[in-house]
Amino acid sequence: MQGVSDTAEPNVRLPDLLRLQLRVIGALTLREMSGRYGKENLGYLWLFGEPLLLGSAIGLVHAITGHEMPGGVSPVHFMVTGYIVFYLLRGIVNRAPTAIVGTQSLLYHRCITLLDIMISKNLLDLAATTFVMLLFIGLWGMATGQWPANLELVVVAMAVMALLSHGLSLLIAAGSVFTEVFERVTHLIVYLTMGFTGFLYMVFWLPTEMQHAALWIPTVHVYEMIRHGLYGLQVPTYYDPLYLAGWVLGLNLFGMAALRRARRDLVI
Amino acid sequence: MLEDVTKSYRTHLGDRQVLHGINASFGPGEKVGILGRNGAGKTTLLRVIAGVEFPTTGRVDRRMSVSWPLGFAGAMHYSMTGADNARFIARIYAKPIEETVEFVRDFADLGDYFRLPVKTYSSGMVVRLGFALSLAVDFDCYLVDEAIAVGDTRFADRYRDALLERQARSALLLVSHIPDVVRSYCSSAAILEHGRLTRYEDLDEAIAVYQSA
Repeated sequence: MQGVSDTAEPNVRLPDLLRLQLRVIGALTLREMSGRYGKENLGYLWLFGEPLLLGSAIGLVHAITGHEMPGGVSPVHFMVTGYIVFYLLRGIVNRAPTAIVGTQSLLYHRCITLLDIMISKNLLDLAATTFVMLLFIGLWGMATGQWPANLELVVVAMAVMALLSHGLSLLIAAGSVFTEVFERVTHLIVYLTMGFTGFLYMVFWLPTEMQHAALWIPTVHVYEMIRHGLYGLQVPTYYDPLYLAGWVLGLNLFGMAALRRARRDLVI
Repeated sequence: MLEDVTKSYRTHLGDRQVLHGINASFGPGEKVGILGRNGAGKTTLLRVIAGVEFPTTGRVDRRMSVSWPLGFAGAMHYSMTGADNARFIARIYAKPIEETVEFVRDFADLGDYFRLPVKTYSSGMVVRLGFALSLAVDFDCYLVDEAIAVGDTRFADRYRDALLERQARSALLLVSHIPDVVRSYCSSAAILEHGRLTRYEDLDEAIAVYQSA
């Protein structure tokens, strides 16, 4: 139904194009960083202070109420690490409905695409939460002598969570160009589905038939992966990297296509 | 170069078509004024040429580096300082950062405001910063939306000199509803009316037609 496209600058080859996009994403990330955390040094503290404070508070409540965790895992450790990962998901997804509106003036520059904007924002979330995770793991290790079984796996799992959330955020951002519905329901849905993400439970706690149901949810696989990295064989974990790869690929491909379509109709 | 470009917007009153099949081609070094009344679609045309918005149908083919539309809004961050905006522009357009900041500071002539957030600027200052940023990037073709009339005369003269200096390589597309503005910057003109563009080789002829309409 819609007509022909518009061409980019002349004589641009793929490597140049990639270099350009990397440059743009770099500049956008710097800009986003100073915008989000301010220029004062204390601003950067919030980068990790926020999830750390909230995570510790939740963990503390559990410690005080004396909940025992199956598998002999520390409730504080379980809740704080879980919260940091949820913080990553929530940060990316909740920002998506307003991500485009807030940065439209950037699109005056033809070299900046919607995808660049989304990547730079979400990359910063991943960097911040990964840093917090490593900081927490380091502090915890020094205090208790308990270190993760496989740190690389934890970092990889966080990147996978970022990729899943990123794909979803592309779809939500693109949808928000056409309707306000997403702006109204995204926060609510993220809040309501928090209990299902895998943040608050592990698959082996569940009865068999519920295990099967839970393993349909991609974020549950991510959480299992992270806990495999954190606790090793102390707890049984169930996850399928291929299933996750399918979700990441699907969400991102549809997300990018939707974003491209939305750009055509975007009124700036 | 524009081929059969149309643009419509969806509104609650149904689709509104703003551009009805624009065909035009602008060459290197050309200084073209586009005259049109309020609502003729001047700003829309400029946005489509700049690639800020996409044509509904048709195609835009850019063989020169084309600036963003220079006007009252857009292209900069209001919460960032003028200097930070210059740094950002330098980064995305791969220009040396310190030189760009210096150039913009000198050209925009904002004094201490250069180190304050753009939201504290007057509209004239925002326009000056925008022009300085675009000159720092050094485009082949500049798109100017009315705004030049806002800067004070001293700045307008300086801007015109800067453009004249690059006469041979820089093209200029200036949209305005004021014939005198077009006359002082351009060597030929076109009239945008009812979403269609008519070009005139002779500037005076274009202005005469525009004023008699």
